[in-house]
Amino acid sequence: MKYEMYSEYSFTNDLGVVDFISIGKNGAIPKRITFTTTELENVYNLAFGDVDENGTLNDYRISDNGDRNKILATVFNVVDIYTKKFPERWIFFSGSTKERTRLYRIAVGINLDELSQIFDIYAFVQEELKLFAKNMEINAFVIKRKVY
Amino acid sequence: MKKVFKFKSELFNKESTWTHDENLEKLNGKVWAPKKLAEANKLLRKLKTPLPK
Repeated sequence: MKYEMYSEYSFTNDLGVVDFISIGKNGAIPKRITFTTTELENVYNLAFGDVDENGTLNDYRISDNGDRNKILATVFNVVDIYTKKFPERWIFFSGSTKERTRLYRIAVGINLDELSQIFDIYAFVQEELKLFAKNMEINAFVIKRKVY
Repeated sequence: MKKVFKFKSELFNKESTWTHDENLEKLNGKVWAPKKLAEANKLLRKLKTPLPK
């Protein structure tokens, strides 16, 4: 995929926390991507947002730094590296708001051909899991690296 | 000395630099985005079809 992305990261050994800095019209904003265990074995919840002054993850703030696509590409890059290390893990992700989930759906839809070469991409439609297709109304994604 | 790794993304065909951060390790065990995690667990609990093998 031919998108700009941030390429300098700080990380924990288990890759559960990955930080980077967004540089844009509002300055330098610390960002954090986290992977947390869920109640289902081998399913990890992806969370993403700004790092607050107290070090917590704020996944509701709109930083409006003018680099949305670069940040989305960065999140996918981190998922790419994470799933290379942990190919058996499923990654669950959705937006913190309906609008953000829609944004993710559009972003995945636009790049579906390339993403599908690397990942199996499923979506929650109501309470059912379906193979994701463009323009599908979804609640969340769950993806896994393809094993060849 | 900090551990630094270079990884090449298959998706973007670009290299990125990963620097281990001891301070981040201190956050180990913290529950991130608890509301979103609770929503994820809620959906996963209701899942009628198992995750594909």
